[in-house]
Amino acid sequence: MGSEAFLDLRPGNLIEPVSGRRWDVQEIIRQVALRVRRYEQAGMAPGDRVFIPYGNRLEFFADLLAVWRLGGSAAPLDGRLTAFEIEQLAQAARPRFFLVDDTLDAPTLGFLSRMDAKVLNTLENERGAGTASAIELPADRSFIDNEALILFTSGSTGNPKGVVHTHRSLHARWAALREHVGLEALGETLCVLPTYFGHGLICNCLFPWLAGQNLFITPPFRPDLVMQLGALIDDHKISFMSSVPAVWQLALRVSRPPARGTLKQVHCGSAPLTARFWKEIQGWCSTEKVWNAYGITETGSWTAGTSLGEFVPEDGLIGKPWGAVIKIFTTSDTAMPPAAELECKSGDSGSVWIRTPALMRGYLNRDDLTRQAICEGWFLTGDIGRIDDRGLLYLQGREREEINKGGVKVYPADIDAVVARFEQAADAVAFGIDDPVYGQDIGLALVLRNSDAAIIRELYAWMQRHLAQHKMPKRWYLMDSIPRRSNGKVNRAAVGEHCAKSTPLDLRAIMQSGAGKQP
Amino acid sequence: MNSLNDRPQRKAALIEFLRTIQRPDRPIEAIPENQELVESGLIDSLALLQIVSYLEETYRIDFRERGVNPSDLGSVGAILDLIERGGG
Repeated sequence: MGSEAFLDLRPGNLIEPVSGRRWDVQEIIRQVALRVRRYEQAGMAPGDRVFIPYGNRLEFFADLLAVWRLGGSAAPLDGRLTAFEIEQLAQAARPRFFLVDDTLDAPTLGFLSRMDAKVLNTLENERGAGTASAIELPADRSFIDNEALILFTSGSTGNPKGVVHTHRSLHARWAALREHVGLEALGETLCVLPTYFGHGLICNCLFPWLAGQNLFITPPFRPDLVMQLGALIDDHKISFMSSVPAVWQLALRVSRPPARGTLKQVHCGSAPLTARFWKEIQGWCSTEKVWNAYGITETGSWTAGTSLGEFVPEDGLIGKPWGAVIKIFTTSDTAMPPAAELECKSGDSGSVWIRTPALMRGYLNRDDLTRQAICEGWFLTGDIGRIDDRGLLYLQGREREEINKGGVKVYPADIDAVVARFEQAADAVAFGIDDPVYGQDIGLALVLRNSDAAIIRELYAWMQRHLAQHKMPKRWYLMDSIPRRSNGKVNRAAVGEHCAKSTPLDLRAIMQSGAGKQP
Repeated sequence: MNSLNDRPQRKAALIEFLRTIQRPDRPIEAIPENQELVESGLIDSLALLQIVSYLEETYRIDFRERGVNPSDLGSVGAILDLIERGGG
């Protein structure tokens, strides 16, 4: 089976509410066909990997469908990544093409041009297209078990972790969502999440849009847009949107609520939701249908959820599986599948495991990581939870190390890896710190061979060259040593607690004492 | 409105606050009152939320009913004007 279903499904219209641009179905198909023709002429072929370091605009969706039509796989990237970070990902995935727009800065674009891959600007696809209103779409070259999507969840500074989904696993997720979420409320769907993010791309965008619903796409995580969220919902008669707690936290404080009553259903995911906060969102949205969705990139994002209308909100309540079997076991060992006798009794806490046809194929070129996460179809989520006697899942904590900064996941090992490459750094550990606005921000414990202010300024400049701005630690702590276990691993939470008792470096004074000097 | 009664006082207090959220490598003293805070790179766009918190806590401005016009947070001058209007 080919993936022609993507276009045969007749996707809905695409709208950019900020710019006012709009493509109807006919124009979308024309845009896809233009790209298929140009990219094929440029040599794109089945099996090619294509990096797309931009997103959240109409062209992104046409590029994605064109890559799939040609039998390739797409890796949407955060456009804020540095050239260094993109290089790390490219070394792992060996893309044959970069599809770029006009948002990439000149140094990064220059860097991509020197890599062993072709760089094509998606905004140049109209060149030579003439005025033809329709271009014939060539035959689909994809197959259901082809690699379709690579979503990098960490390792942008070394040993990238790329979640590989096939067309089959994506279709399985969408089929499950159609059954459990439905399309009734999704007619006018708004996405304010990034398209390099499983939650934003697979569920908020592609699920409704490929099923014929209209998709309104905005630039991601823009506080100025969230400040006008109520007006945006009213102006475009938005009926559905999904987001993350950090965005809701902001919207509830700085945006007037929508007034026209068009919002029928809302999802919140990617971080735990408290009962109180859940009710506040419901009040702002004026709809009972505020659903807490449990999303994991490896299982195609939204894998379980419930709605306020069905159950009384409780801290940590997720609900029932959507196209998956979810069980709690006492084991987190993936050397063998979890045995029935290790399943927790109702109400007992343990490790959350999932079986679903929407499970990723594995981590890109990382069989070691895949073996640590999957055993005979069972995926170890890294979350701690329980299932009550009604069969409802509750999440209680995470074993994962990620830092959730305002809904954006930052992997502390990525920061450690950059600091470790700095000559004067003897050791470094990044960790999450509580933040009243973002939920979490980033702290850095640092051991330097030479802690002069000039060296700290050099390190700051080094990190800026290698890390996207949102990954820069907010508080830096200088230490004599960082305690590690005998296997070299570190307890980041313990390091964070230790640092909390110390005074962070006055980075501003250090940086500005060197103003005008070359780092 | 709190005890910061005149614009120079409020500006000094605002600059002092912005120092706590700015990117450390950008000198704030030099920023003109009408310079865009985010576009100039002094703060990242998410830091607008911290400015909102500051205004709520320092000047008891409640944004929940009428929301925030992002341009009112765009520069030191715009923020001071917003404070003088009592958030409206």
